[in-house]
Amino acid sequence: MATPKPKSKSSAVAAARKKGPPWLWIGVAGVVVILAVAALVSSGGSDKKKNSTAAGAEQTRPVTVTGTALPELPQGGGTDPAVGQVIPEARGASFDGTPVDIRNDGRPKLILFVAHWCPHCQREVPLLTSYLESHKLPSGVDLYTVATATNSTRPNYPPSAWLADKGWKAPTLADSDDAKAATAFGLNAFPYFVAVDGSGKVVARTTGEITTDDFADLATKTLGNR
Amino acid sequence: MNTQTVTLFLALLAVVAEIGTAVAVVLIVGGRFSPAVRRLGQQALEAVSPSALSLAAVVAAVCTAGSLYLSEVAHFPPCRLCWYQRIAMYPLVPLLGIAAWRRDRGVRLYGIVIAALGAPISIYHILLERDIIHESGACDPANPCNIVWVKRLGYLTIPTMALSGFALIITLLAISREELLDGNPQAEVEVQRGRRSP
Repeated sequence: MATPKPKSKSSAVAAARKKGPPWLWIGVAGVVVILAVAALVSSGGSDKKKNSTAAGAEQTRPVTVTGTALPELPQGGGTDPAVGQVIPEARGASFDGTPVDIRNDGRPKLILFVAHWCPHCQREVPLLTSYLESHKLPSGVDLYTVATATNSTRPNYPPSAWLADKGWKAPTLADSDDAKAATAFGLNAFPYFVAVDGSGKVVARTTGEITTDDFADLATKTLGNR
Repeated sequence: MNTQTVTLFLALLAVVAEIGTAVAVVLIVGGRFSPAVRRLGQQALEAVSPSALSLAAVVAAVCTAGSLYLSEVAHFPPCRLCWYQRIAMYPLVPLLGIAAWRRDRGVRLYGIVIAALGAPISIYHILLERDIIHESGACDPANPCNIVWVKRLGYLTIPTMALSGFALIITLLAISREELLDGNPQAEVEVQRGRRSP
């Protein structure tokens, strides 16, 4: 009867190489368990939101739009088909319920659409806040803000706390859940500016971060040939 | 477990991945200059190399599970660049898993190439969300790539965690080489003396 051949020394080395030490996997499992416990303890096991809102503040509010919606601003520049078109009117309220109406009231206006989660808006708002602290808009020009695309699952929520924190003072319309105001004004990116003259017609629209000089230029454009 | 807990857990795992990768790099580079570091590296290699393929498969599986948790449970919709990183990470799970099961170290090259395709996308995504580079000066209303959905321990965002995963997978696959153990008489001597279990 044949006896099993004893393992050679070289085959033992090969086996050691193949398997690896068992403590490695025990160590990996131990580290994972420790990290899981640390995460559980550190986060307190709750989903409490850090952000607070003032009593009665609503981040979205019903908006009523009348008039003809503006076409979407074309991507990549080119002629803006909305220039010369009368803006629709958006009636709603601010976060705290104060009525905010963007109407054809015979006054030139600049409308800024922002999203709380957009990093470009997060940079533009403090820039303009700082600018507006030391500069005035041309006489008779109104500045409105529309806080839109509000989403509680996205970063930097709620927009009311964000804008208050940045010292933003312009009247702010809290757009509806389905972003009626933004859609009516043809928004295609954030931040979004619409410059409107005294007759209620669009004189310019632009998206993205702009400099304070460009902002002042937009404001001046709203005055048209007055 | 809630989203806060899970993201912190994933961030801690990413830190471990980063430490593992950094230690490997230090041992490899330091080993070229210092015999003591070389010996230390060889010992670490002996311990980790036989299991490196399996560990890489586990890392890919954890990254994939984390990614699916963030999109399907935490409801953070993946952006375009997130999808590109997913395209690189997800196939690594069956690829490395089956290779580890079959002890097929020939998969190393394919794994390293796929992970090495994912890593630069993560780096680009990190630069984008940290505002170091810009795709444009505006946010896409739908799902821009520069939104920071998660930021733990001050720097660990989703693409940062993905990069940590890719880096560790590349490192583990790089050291999953039997030939690296060759020329180490100390290991053979210790096995022969019974200090090491075969």
